Amino acid sequence: MTAVAPAVSAPIAAPAHAETILSVRDLRTQFFTRDGVVRAVDGVSFDLKRGETLCIVGESGCGKSVTALSILGLIPAGAGRIVGGSVRFEGTELTTLSEAEMRRIRGNRISMIFQEPMTSLNPVFTVGQQIAESVSIHQGLNRRQAWDRAIEMLSLVKIADPKRRAGEYPHQLSGGMRQRVMIAIALACNPQVLIADEPTTALDVTIQAQILNLMLELKDRLGTAIILITHDLGVVAETAQRVIVMYAGRKAEEAAVDELFRHPIHPYTRGLMASIPRRSAAGRRSQVRGRLQEITGIVPSLREEIPGCAFAPRCGFAVDRCTREQPPFEAHRPAHFAACWEAARVVGTPR
Amino acid sequence: MSAPEMVLKVQDLKKHFPVHKGLLSRVVGHVFAVDGVSFEIRRGETLCLVGESGCGKSTVAKTVMRLQEPTAGTVELNGADITKLDQEELRAHRRQMQIVFQDPYSSLNPRMSAGAIVSEPLTNYGIAAGPELTQRIAQLFERVGLRADAMVKYPHEFSGGQRQRLGIARALAVNPRLIVADEPVSALDVSVQAQVLNLLIDLQEEFQLAYLFVSHDLAVVEHIGHRIAVMYLGRIVELADNADLFGTPLHPYTEALLAAAPLPEPGLKRERIILQGDVPSPMNPPSGCRFHTRCPYALPECKVTDPPLLEVAPGHHVACLRRPVGTDGAPLTRTA
Repeated sequence: MTAVAPAVSAPIAAPAHAETILSVRDLRTQFFTRDGVVRAVDGVSFDLKRGETLCIVGESGCGKSVTALSILGLIPAGAGRIVGGSVRFEGTELTTLSEAEMRRIRGNRISMIFQEPMTSLNPVFTVGQQIAESVSIHQGLNRRQAWDRAIEMLSLVKIADPKRRAGEYPHQLSGGMRQRVMIAIALACNPQVLIADEPTTALDVTIQAQILNLMLELKDRLGTAIILITHDLGVVAETAQRVIVMYAGRKAEEAAVDELFRHPIHPYTRGLMASIPRRSAAGRRSQVRGRLQEITGIVPSLREEIPGCAFAPRCGFAVDRCTREQPPFEAHRPAHFAACWEAARVVGTPR
Repeated sequence: MSAPEMVLKVQDLKKHFPVHKGLLSRVVGHVFAVDGVSFEIRRGETLCLVGESGCGKSTVAKTVMRLQEPTAGTVELNGADITKLDQEELRAHRRQMQIVFQDPYSSLNPRMSAGAIVSEPLTNYGIAAGPELTQRIAQLFERVGLRADAMVKYPHEFSGGQRQRLGIARALAVNPRLIVADEPVSALDVSVQAQVLNLLIDLQEEFQLAYLFVSHDLAVVEHIGHRIAVMYLGRIVELADNADLFGTPLHPYTEALLAAAPLPEPGLKRERIILQGDVPSPMNPPSGCRFHTRCPYALPECKVTDPPLLEVAPGHHVACLRRPVGTDGAPLTRTA
């Protein structure tokens, strides 16, 4: 009943010549509440290349999920909106598209998987119907063809006995199987981009391993680019090619995965890495029950405008300038960017 | 030097929940949430219960506290069996054990001030009153890293990490010997998680507290646990010292669990066993060894014989037919 999966090999960075498929520039998304304006995403830019896996990592409230929702045009009208910046997908500006035009892209060319598979599936339709709906709308297949495609997708995501399962309702499936169905729906139209927002956070660790492996395998097979949003540095290390670290709605750091874990620059990234209890491979365990390094304090409120670096109040390296001027996001090592005035001093300090 | 005194001794603990169905709510079966669990915890020691959702780890925590009545088995707190006591008799013993819950949002009364939340157990047991009470609460607040002037605030005015500190202060108020912590850091962000774990370790050293620490997170468990019990479908399948369990895991389920957890080290090449399928229903657990349906090393007799939890090496207990007493921990040969 078990299979030995090949060790997930170290992902190689996307080839330099791979073309950019999604380009986000200076994205600003705000929510308007009774208590004031919440700057959830505050000037985020990045590129996604064809077939690449990009991880966005950060703690709750750092703006990683809102970034994803902004790309897909899913910010609930009335609560908030994109107030600036651009999102270009294959040359098309998405932020100015009408809802009807956006619907032709969403679920078809750009798909999304959410954290909680139970609430993102419709409880009154069979899982087969839900996959078929997506392909019949976007690809104009007739009922027979759409149903066949649904079964094909269920077997692609390795659900045993797909013919029978296609006729079942979400509540009849386990959490891991529901997430497989979500992946089947998301990939049914062969999207160019898949955005996965904490896809394994609600799952047990043995099931998480199954789902991550499945996503990477399908990505290689179908050439889909993935934006994986997570708070888990373990998941980042095992899946990402490139990583963006977010803090308080802004980018703190960006680099290829090996580079980031080996030479973190931003004090927040370093703090995050030092604060997680380490499980290392057997035989090379770190010291048991040493004190964990803490990041003192709490994340800032996004209701107030932060003139300087958002991390400054919690940062051991902060100088006067950090609280006054926002640091530029610039390269401090080859292809390794961070927003920190004191980067040189931070890097010179042993971890 | 003799071993520290025993604080908690649990023997053959069982908790079965009846499943009702139909108009007359007839009992159609039972969920075997906890099905024969034994362990002990000494002063100053942390025992971690680790496992996936539905393995019964939280039910063990609640049953030990008698927040749920055990179906069978005994729970000895400081040498006295508390499973047969009535509520009045239990009250005196409850003072010795306190619980910290997972969700710091729903486990604090939103209508009570922080000071009132922490003082309630003290007035309840008549430990302190008046100025002495205020002074004691101020001490507790400072001990868990909250400002004493935060006493007048309400739970919603605190962050998640601060609320968990409040929950810990409430548990500490009556000077318990045992603290049951049910996923105390799971709802917190990693940077805050470290603050709370450090606090728990400091408090243990200061007061020689015994911890029953329930978690699904192997990294947290490895960091904080002196001894670790791995649960699967209502049973402990492996119980060992921290170094033994993580260094030479013997049960195939432990091995798979360790291999499945992603490590924050990119490019680390591991041959990982990915378990296929899902955890079977605890209403209808598999015959023989409960893990045989997903085990890569299962033999035909594993379907029939339910393996007992045996001490196969000093302090290292495992329930697996392929790991007999004296086993050397060499890799097993696959059968599937």
